[in-house]
Amino acid sequence: MAQISVCPYCGTGCQIVVPEKDEPFSVSGYKGSPVNNGKLCIKGYTGLNYSFSKERLTYPLFNENGNFIRISWEDAIELAANKLLKIREEFGPDSVAFQSSAKCTNEENYLMQKMARVFGTNNIDHCARSCHSPTALGLINTLGTGAATGSIKSLEGTNTFFIIGSNTTEQHPIIGSKIISEVKKGKKLIVADPRKIKLAELADIHMQFRPGTDVALLNSLMFVIVKEKLYDKEFIDSRTEGFNELREEVIKYDPIITSEITGVEPELVYEAARTYATNRPSAIFYAMGITQHIHGTENVMNVSNLALITGNLGKYGSGIFPLRGQNNVQGSSDMGALAEFYPGYIRWDSDKIEKFAKLWNSTLPKKKGLTLSEMFDKAADGEIKAIYLMGENPLITEANIARVEEGIDNLEFFIVQDIFMTLTAAKADLVLPAASSLEKEGTFTNTERRIQRIFPIYKPPGEAKPDWWIINKIGSRMNLWKEYSGPEEIFNEIREAIYNYSGATYENIYPVGKQWPINKENPDGTEILHTRSFPLGKGKLVPIKFNPPSESVDGEYDLIMTTGRNYFHWHSGTMTRLSQILEREAPEPYIEINSEDAYERKIRNGQLVNVKSRHGEIRIRAKVTNLVPKGIVFIPFHYKESRVNLLVGENLDPISKIPEFKVVAVKVMP
Amino acid sequence: MIYSLNAEEMAQLYERISKEFETYGTVDIQGDITFSRIESYDELRIGRSDKPPKEFLIGRNENVLVFTEPNKKAVFGVMSCDLKGFYIMDKQIYGKDPFYTARRDNTVFINYVCTEPCETGFCSSFGGPLLNDYQIQVINYENDKYLIYADDAYKSFFEGFKQASKEEISKVEKLMHNFNMKQKKHEVEGIENRIKWNSKLWDEYAKICIQCGACNYSCPTCYCFDLNDVGEERFREWDSCILAGFTKTSAGNPRESLASRLRQRFYHKFVYYKKSKGEYLCTGCNRCTDDCPVDIEIKEVIDHDYNNE
Ligand code: SF4
Ligand code: SF4
Ligand code: SF4
Repeated sequence: MAQISVCPYCGTGCQIVVPEKDEPFSVSGYKGSPVNNGKLCIKGYTGLNYSFSKERLTYPLFNENGNFIRISWEDAIELAANKLLKIREEFGPDSVAFQSSAKCTNEENYLMQKMARVFGTNNIDHCARSCHSPTALGLINTLGTGAATGSIKSLEGTNTFFIIGSNTTEQHPIIGSKIISEVKKGKKLIVADPRKIKLAELADIHMQFRPGTDVALLNSLMFVIVKEKLYDKEFIDSRTEGFNELREEVIKYDPIITSEITGVEPELVYEAARTYATNRPSAIFYAMGITQHIHGTENVMNVSNLALITGNLGKYGSGIFPLRGQNNVQGSSDMGALAEFYPGYIRWDSDKIEKFAKLWNSTLPKKKGLTLSEMFDKAADGEIKAIYLMGENPLITEANIARVEEGIDNLEFFIVQDIFMTLTAAKADLVLPAASSLEKEGTFTNTERRIQRIFPIYKPPGEAKPDWWIINKIGSRMNLWKEYSGPEEIFNEIREAIYNYSGATYENIYPVGKQWPINKENPDGTEILHTRSFPLGKGKLVPIKFNPPSESVDGEYDLIMTTGRNYFHWHSGTMTRLSQILEREAPEPYIEINSEDAYERKIRNGQLVNVKSRHGEIRIRAKVTNLVPKGIVFIPFHYKESRVNLLVGENLDPISKIPEFKVVAVKVMP
Repeated sequence: MIYSLNAEEMAQLYERISKEFETYGTVDIQGDITFSRIESYDELRIGRSDKPPKEFLIGRNENVLVFTEPNKKAVFGVMSCDLKGFYIMDKQIYGKDPFYTARRDNTVFINYVCTEPCETGFCSSFGGPLLNDYQIQVINYENDKYLIYADDAYKSFFEGFKQASKEEISKVEKLMHNFNMKQKKHEVEGIENRIKWNSKLWDEYAKICIQCGACNYSCPTCYCFDLNDVGEERFREWDSCILAGFTKTSAGNPRESLASRLRQRFYHKFVYYKKSKGEYLCTGCNRCTDDCPVDIEIKEVIDHDYNNE
């Protein structure tokens, strides 16, 4: 019989109905789901073919001088465990780094970070670093919880939608469609985005600001709100602290002045501020357009400022919605697969980690861990000797990939666990074949904090095994733990580790999942966060000063490039590019360039051009369009044929260490 | 022939059919009705399935370089709006597409006719749920009473069962008449002449359509596919005319804009097919609207006043 599962692509976490083997195979949306009510986007409908691809990895492979030879699981586990232990003995635990994956289940992420920490290091991180680490840090700092504050369903109660730095209809299509449906009913829509995204066309107000000037824009909105006293005084008094300091800062951002920086007409700023502040409840949506900057964490805190002073938190229909990229990036972050956080966002240097020492019956590392990009850096420097990487493809997705490659080449031992022989896996010493999300048991947590179950509906190909099985074996071989019997046992340990998960059981989260916090006080989960107070007590208002992005245009590099995804592909493309329909729709890399910029450079639509930044150069086809304004170009990062991340530099947000993917100065030459 | 059975006999009918056919039917997965392999009549749950049973005849994604003789399948619980889709598609692909044809010939659809209008469907605008074309058509018109229209090809399954009486038949006909009266009518007749190429609807839809493909994948009459060579295999995959790549050729794309592709879908359904095959490529199931995440309504396309926009 068919089974309910979860779409493996975006953080919306649409529930799908998947028929069993030997039945005509096709996926449909689960009508009972409060997330998607039976609807799906094209990736959900046609994107699951990869699971049945002949290119799947089917047995463990050992790299013998450049040739991959098949080995048994027994040998593979032995080898992985012995190598890691030997390197620990020789160079200490901090010479090893672990990389987890937002595509994997909560159970798998939990186990991976536990492996790192019981092994003796906080060198555990994953791709959330490159997308929403500023969200975790920023919102934990201002509110106490780094997650969406409302539910997808609660958008029915929203009166004003404010989208900043999220191409929602392409990246979270089902949430985008929810917004469209509401806007059709007459709700207000404000879009702030340098590109003319689909929602911009429907918007009442579209502020086309220059990339990297978000702080100035948000401050100018608050300038208006403060000047016209549109804030929620009662909320500010009773639920927040720091308003005076914030006011001091934002009154410096008169829209007339900021328009020089942002390029947005003052009238639009006034109108947007008034609408957002008065036509309540209002909800803010943001994604990589806010986070992937050197001031990403500050951006997030500024979004939080805006919501706090207008009282747009804690009520049905209001809130802050960081739209999570990967299907399980909320969960993998909750699980503590991050250098600075233990499960449940407990800081590595806080006293509270004692509870994990007890739970895991182990001493815990005393040193701060390395983040994703630092791991490769230190590998290049020779400090990191081994990396155990699960389900990521950094040779396409990381910034400054030349350096990543250098790091990988310098490793003594490199383990990659994946479902395909990716560009990254091809460099491994040991390749471990994993099961896809249709082939294993576990839970994912979506962008609205909903913990949902997946099931082993198909058998993995050949000898491929679920990621939890592999980590479990290697961990127990290294004597880090006694072997777990299965995902449910791991989940039960998660319930002990994370109070917000403590009330969830495999039984009570089936079929439609429950939103954390689910615990003694909230046995049915929590739809809206912060209704009465914040985990911090009062919400913190943090004045944010505008600093220009690290990269700027000059005579030579005269265009600003931003990077991102398109509708049809997913990250490094290893899954979507195997779906013929998706690949047909977007078969090759391209650069979107405004028609005026193209004309000035004598570039025709479809022509191959060279794109050069201060860090690298690629060749790519031009798509002449007015979706991007003059002065700005856009390149999606899915394509191994021309990896845009060769162009992205090493500039990191000093707080969250996220690379600045969204602002790169480039020149484009025919 | 028309038969009259009770619930117990229905189970016997299932038993008889299952001896000759692999049996499938609609089952309940946590409130979602979906087609699945079934082993007993008890598993069957009658209700509108989450997707049409199209895949029994056109695989979602299959290698077309190897032809294997299909198993004989019996599919229980097919709704009239879905079944009708096959009869409409027959006109275009039966006899031409060897896969479709072989499966069509080897599959018996046991149609369960709705006796109450569903929430959104508008099949009565296309003649209602009692169909002229069927293999086995079941009407559960009273608690334990089933009237069955069966093609003579399936006579042997009904041996020993009672033939329906005049009263029973007229009871059902009346029920069906009431059904058609109860459901709101949409004036489909003549839409091919009313619909307008330059209607503002297409642009309005293009503004909100997110190109999910649901209106094609969920439609019991959409049969378009795409061919792809992957290594030694040639895959045929359901396609969506809403996607730009659907009509792209090396010479460019004749339907570059989303508005023109949305229009094409409705024109194919209501104009081209009607003109070439004499029938609308639509059964009024309303799935394309129910599954559309931005609520683009096929009924609006039918009801819209094109002359006064
Ligand atoms: S919206 Fe996201 S989760 Fe839903 S079907 Fe599309 S890719 Fe999958
Ligand atoms: S066009 Fe829509 S209403 Fe008509 S048959 Fe297809 S899905 Fe049903
Ligand atoms: S179902 Fe709606 S949104 Fe999806 S492709 Fe069709 S018209 Fe567009």
